[in-house]
Amino acid sequence: MSAPPVSAWKQFQAKKEAYLAYARPWEKRIGSFLTYRPEAAGPSQSGSGPLAGLPFGVKDNIAVEGFPLTCGSKMLADVVSPYDATVVSRLKSAGAFVIGKTNLDEFGMGSSTDNSALGRTHNPWDQTRVAGGSSGGSAAAVAAGLVPFALGTDTGGSVRQPASFCGVYGLKPTYGVLSRYGLTAYASSLETPGVLSADLDLVRAVFDACKGRDSHDQTSLDPERLPARPVKTIAVLADLTGLDPGVQAVYDRTLVALKDLGFTLVPVTLPTLEYAVPSYYTIATAEASANLARFNGIRYGHRPVYAENPEHLVRQSRTSGFGDEVKTRIMVGTYVLRSGFQDQFYTKAQKVRTLIRQDLQKVFDRADLLFSPAFPTAAFIHGDKTMNEFQQKIADKFTVTANLAGVPALAFPAGLADGLPVGMQFTAPAFGEDRLFEAAAVFATRVPVAACPGNSLDWSK
Amino acid sequence: MDIGELETTAALAQIDLGEGDLERLGAAVSQMLSYFEKMNALDTEGLEPTTHALVKDNRVRSDVVVPSELADALVDQAPEREDRFFVIPNVL
Repeated sequence: MSAPPVSAWKQFQAKKEAYLAYARPWEKRIGSFLTYRPEAAGPSQSGSGPLAGLPFGVKDNIAVEGFPLTCGSKMLADVVSPYDATVVSRLKSAGAFVIGKTNLDEFGMGSSTDNSALGRTHNPWDQTRVAGGSSGGSAAAVAAGLVPFALGTDTGGSVRQPASFCGVYGLKPTYGVLSRYGLTAYASSLETPGVLSADLDLVRAVFDACKGRDSHDQTSLDPERLPARPVKTIAVLADLTGLDPGVQAVYDRTLVALKDLGFTLVPVTLPTLEYAVPSYYTIATAEASANLARFNGIRYGHRPVYAENPEHLVRQSRTSGFGDEVKTRIMVGTYVLRSGFQDQFYTKAQKVRTLIRQDLQKVFDRADLLFSPAFPTAAFIHGDKTMNEFQQKIADKFTVTANLAGVPALAFPAGLADGLPVGMQFTAPAFGEDRLFEAAAVFATRVPVAACPGNSLDWSK
Repeated sequence: MDIGELETTAALAQIDLGEGDLERLGAAVSQMLSYFEKMNALDTEGLEPTTHALVKDNRVRSDVVVPSELADALVDQAPEREDRFFVIPNVL
């Protein structure tokens, strides 16, 4: 069984009834959307571009006009966005249209989507398991065939890890190439919108439609051109340890396949890899404590029924509006920015970030791409005690490096372990998205993307 | 982190901690901070801190008025308002 081709999705309006008959029971089982409006009419004229007539899902921390913008938080449960994020307006201009907002860990903080205050999302491959996070709803919706593609956000792996858990592609572009205007800020120097789809060409088409400088985001960039040459050399970590056996097996098989496909594998070490996670979480929580200071229940958002004075109002709003993980990260971030601790934590982390960038540069001096797992495990079971909040953070080691260095990375489906999808990852130098697409396309000629059981073509026929 | 430090930090973050929270969230915060200390093993002497990976210079734009039609829709999101004013409890 294979996922519906993009051409099938162009029938979406004409085959709405059949789609709904297929999609509604799926969505009931997996809960990928917080707002789901597939009945709403799409554009009357869909045009002829690569995205014309395609419905898509948007992670609920990205603004879509007329849709809620909850960030999976009680704090913003009643907020409706009056405007579109730049990435959304560019996709609409290309003829695509939004049919829902997908579930996420509150404000993007988590690796399971179980930190959402507003809904529970299950992995379409096995509903006792998480879809990953924080863009878990987007990954689940795509894997189940409810949308051909979805937008997510990636601050430390939040597109790539759920893509790996759900068996789809997940692109984290070069920092700045996709505008952050309309994205609810969590860690501004690290995060970017990203794209999830089971179709690699569609990932590229969506990326192309969204990319480029935006007057609303002063950190946005036009992509620079890297010298055009085929990908030949791929760096592999010489001292890789700590993978679950199933992931290790897929990793080993992928290495063999890459070699067979003609790539030259170059063993490298990343001495700073062990320090990437502490550096990342120091910076991310520091930025989060500043960015989330704006939520105070005065101009919008959750307000307590009664407050004695303005200060009490703000504290009550935040105390009852935020979940545990968000509070934890805000407090960690507040602490590392406190006077007397800044040099010890925040400045130190930014210097480690410099070392990590230098380390990665050395790798790209020797190879066109870096290959690694996306995550040390496949999708875990809801509430798995061996994967508590802290363990999930440690496991971000393979994904956070790309965010710290601002470079692009792609999680791609690499096979199954015990019936669950496992994703691997290519990381490229800044603006090297084409290399990611190229290598992943070559790999897919050997290992085609496995469709999630039950994701069928039927509705479009 | 001792309770006093935790309470100071929570106050700065404008979050109230109940008794259960102090223990539960305090443990999570302490665990992360201890983990951060791992970075001390790396020599970073003389390195410039990275604040943004790819943004190298400050950017300026022309100081011109650009109309926005969003104001009313944004004000409409207020939990409590009078005309175009946000209502908050009495300051005194």
